[in-house]
Amino acid sequence: MRRIVHKVWALAPTLTLPRWAAEGMMLAVLVAYALLYASPYGLRVLTVAGVYALAAIGFQIVFGLGGALSLAHGAFFGLGAYATGILGSQWGWGFAATFPVSLLVPLLLALLVGLPVLRLESHYFALATLGIAQVVHLLAVNSPALTGGANGLPGVPGIMLFGWAVPRGLPLAAVVWGFVALGGLLAWRLARGRWGRALTLVRDDPLAAGTLGLDVGGLRLAAFTLSAVYAGAAGALAVHTQRVVSPEVLEFPVMVSVLTIAVVGGRGRVAGAILGAVLLLHLPEWFRFLERSYLIVYGVALLATIVLAPHGLTGLLDRLFPARPAPLPKPAAPPETANPTGPLLRVEGLTKGFGGVRAVDGVSLTLEAGTITGLIGPNGSGKTTLVNLISGLEMPDGGRVLMGGTDLAGQRPDRIARAGIARTFQAVSLPEGASVLAAVAAARLERDGSIAQAEAHALWALERLGAADLAAKPCAGLPAALRRRVELARALARQPAVLLLDEPAAGLTDGEKAELAGHLRAIAATGTAILVVEHDMGFLLPLAGHVLCLDQGRPLYAGPPEGVRSDPAVVAAYLGEGA
Amino acid sequence: MRRFLSILSATAFSAVFSATLLPGVARAGEASVPVLVPLTGFLSLEGTSQRNGAVLALKDAPADVAVRSEVIDTGTSPEAAVTALERAAGGTVTAVAASMLGTQMLAMLPLAQDYGIPLVTVSGTASITEQGNPWVFRFFPGDAVTKEAHARYVTEELGKKRPAVIYQTTAYGQSGKAHLEQAFKTLGVEPVFEEGVDPAAKDLLPVLTKALAAKPDVLVLHLHSGPTALFIRQAAANGVAVPIVAGSAMHQPSTAALLEPAELKGVCAETAASPISGGNPEVEAFTAAYRAAFNAEPDAFALGQYDGIRMVLAAVQAGAGNAEAVRKALSAGTHQGLAMTYRSDGKGNMAHSAVIVCYDGASRVPAIAKRYDNVTGVVR
Repeated sequence: MRRIVHKVWALAPTLTLPRWAAEGMMLAVLVAYALLYASPYGLRVLTVAGVYALAAIGFQIVFGLGGALSLAHGAFFGLGAYATGILGSQWGWGFAATFPVSLLVPLLLALLVGLPVLRLESHYFALATLGIAQVVHLLAVNSPALTGGANGLPGVPGIMLFGWAVPRGLPLAAVVWGFVALGGLLAWRLARGRWGRALTLVRDDPLAAGTLGLDVGGLRLAAFTLSAVYAGAAGALAVHTQRVVSPEVLEFPVMVSVLTIAVVGGRGRVAGAILGAVLLLHLPEWFRFLERSYLIVYGVALLATIVLAPHGLTGLLDRLFPARPAPLPKPAAPPETANPTGPLLRVEGLTKGFGGVRAVDGVSLTLEAGTITGLIGPNGSGKTTLVNLISGLEMPDGGRVLMGGTDLAGQRPDRIARAGIARTFQAVSLPEGASVLAAVAAARLERDGSIAQAEAHALWALERLGAADLAAKPCAGLPAALRRRVELARALARQPAVLLLDEPAAGLTDGEKAELAGHLRAIAATGTAILVVEHDMGFLLPLAGHVLCLDQGRPLYAGPPEGVRSDPAVVAAYLGEGA
Repeated sequence: MRRFLSILSATAFSAVFSATLLPGVARAGEASVPVLVPLTGFLSLEGTSQRNGAVLALKDAPADVAVRSEVIDTGTSPEAAVTALERAAGGTVTAVAASMLGTQMLAMLPLAQDYGIPLVTVSGTASITEQGNPWVFRFFPGDAVTKEAHARYVTEELGKKRPAVIYQTTAYGQSGKAHLEQAFKTLGVEPVFEEGVDPAAKDLLPVLTKALAAKPDVLVLHLHSGPTALFIRQAAANGVAVPIVAGSAMHQPSTAALLEPAELKGVCAETAASPISGGNPEVEAFTAAYRAAFNAEPDAFALGQYDGIRMVLAAVQAGAGNAEAVRKALSAGTHQGLAMTYRSDGKGNMAHSAVIVCYDGASRVPAIAKRYDNVTGVVR
């Protein structure tokens, strides 16, 4: 099947029309249809599509950009619906009052539940959010005095704007799509800005995002709550279009519809939410004449869409109308930081256990400005754990990590990164869907005022490592050596006082290692203290001014590199007792 | 496969039926009656009965009434029902066979009033006739009627004073429970146990056990089809001797088909009618025609919808040339249907009779044990 899809793709022409023009034409067709051709029924379907488009735009923020499969989105939709339904039909409130409340109620619930559930990963998060949806549904069904119970509440008034009761048909469709336009524009600007880029990195690699100074928890919570606001707005509009609120707005089919729209439309894209909603709301209507059999045709059509456009409808558009590459910015050095001197980082008695295993056991070290320190030891000796403890990815059981007199031990990775510590990873982790420039610019998102500024600074970092020619290339498919260099550039773009490198020479050729060594010496010469975890003694010993050797989490040797080869304990640890 | 072929043949039948549509504006002697019912989702069994009843009535239209129709699935969401009604309203409409799902009816009512379309339904739940909307006509006794009959049979005929009420946590269940509660109160009986059950519950033994712990002398059910069958099966399997008087879902042949006749022994149920139980030649003819057309057994929903559409067609035959004339005819007229005599109470409640059917344990066809006519309902 995959081969067939690839062959179909190969046959697909690449059109010269700019993508914005293609999207504009589709929008014009939609508007012309609404204004000139659509029957009241057509306008009704279009209106409902607008409601779901708005909900899906919000879902794109938390799921598409943030990568969190929130199954509470349907519940937020329902809460917005019930807020409008109850206040409108029971309390006689008008749209001007009910609509803000419909945004506020899901927002408050998202804040309340977001803090605990956003700590959970992947499917646990999905299950927790599903639980929230179930609880809200049960409350709605079993609180008839407030919600009308399973019957729901009829008599919800229509939308009233500045004294004008918006009638059904074109005016209602225009109002709903007006909200879609506003919400879409806001989401589009957010997605293209620093916040959207940061959120995407959180989705692709939350560990790396934290070490680049991004507040992963804060970003996730913001995405979760913002998406809830969108869902609440959509729910409010849904109730105004059907004039009754009942538990169906809280049921799982709403959630499934929004999820399907996001996936079929194109994950993370506002245009995807709109295209997906328009298609998925119209698709069943086209096959209604088949009575219950329409579900089979609908399912087949959906499946065909997903198989033929695995990246959604927007992916299809990208393929047919490829975006022109944006011109690269001029490289610009970030503002100079004070040249540090003396000891920059002091680690004192750091310990960490996993169950009964002491991975790091009372390790101390000092990193001086402008020096390179080697960290060696056999596999499992605690090297990477030590780097994780210093950079905040692991919580130490004891000990201190002092930088500028402040103890950073146990602090969040983003706070440690902001204190001036940057790192790379043993397994290079770059966002596959991003360009090299975007990947490196991610390191500047927390510091710079705009994407353009961050990219100019990122290009500067790439230039320093002789990798500026890679800027426009996608990270996916880069060979190992270049991936390591890009990752190093990303760490360098942080302008760190302390740089922690976890096996930076792994997989490199001798020539590449020599080049890397030159870059590291140049970085150290600016005052940065570097800690290099490495197994390759031929690379490390000539580079480092000081070496710390660990064995079973404990320091085995600390001293000049020359002493490593002659230290019997080190030799025994590496080569065995009899060596 | 048999079920699939049945669906296919029903769809083909409907397609052929739709293909006979006459174009143009409806005149006296023409009736355009879209059928907007839930064919998918948790109410698909009942919705299909409703559809079949409407389609059969349209097929049996008087010779001098030309019929146009199409069947549209409303699923179970109010949103889909409103969209379906908007779609149907695109043409000239005489009346609509409208969903039996209360929440869908509540959503369709404002639109029906705006467009001036009579909604002919068999929805027995929710306060659809309490909205002051003159365009709704219910050809199935509401809970005010059926639950009075239900409670009266339990107390007056069976002489029970300690009912345990088990209902569904849906619109249908909550509405029935409220009316049962009121009916028992009027009859001076207080339930010893009341509990709502989620329709997705896969094991009803816990609620059965809790109910029995309250030492009831009768189990009163108001559950959907599947849960009713599950409850009765589990009660039979556990040797429960307390009699069971169930809601209208039990009378459906599709519910009885889920159980062995022995499991049904002594079980009774309230309903508007039980066409498979026979009673008169007209009902037996209807049942035979239904079986021939749909390869299925008719229930009270099918018969109620059949009667409702027949009343619409009779109005058209009598000269009602548009929706407003049909509305007036339904509001003011009387119709001798197969299940009962229908007339509006001024709110659109057309059905005022209910029956109690009981199973003898030897077959899945119940016998009518008691008939309640001209029931006004205790909740007014």
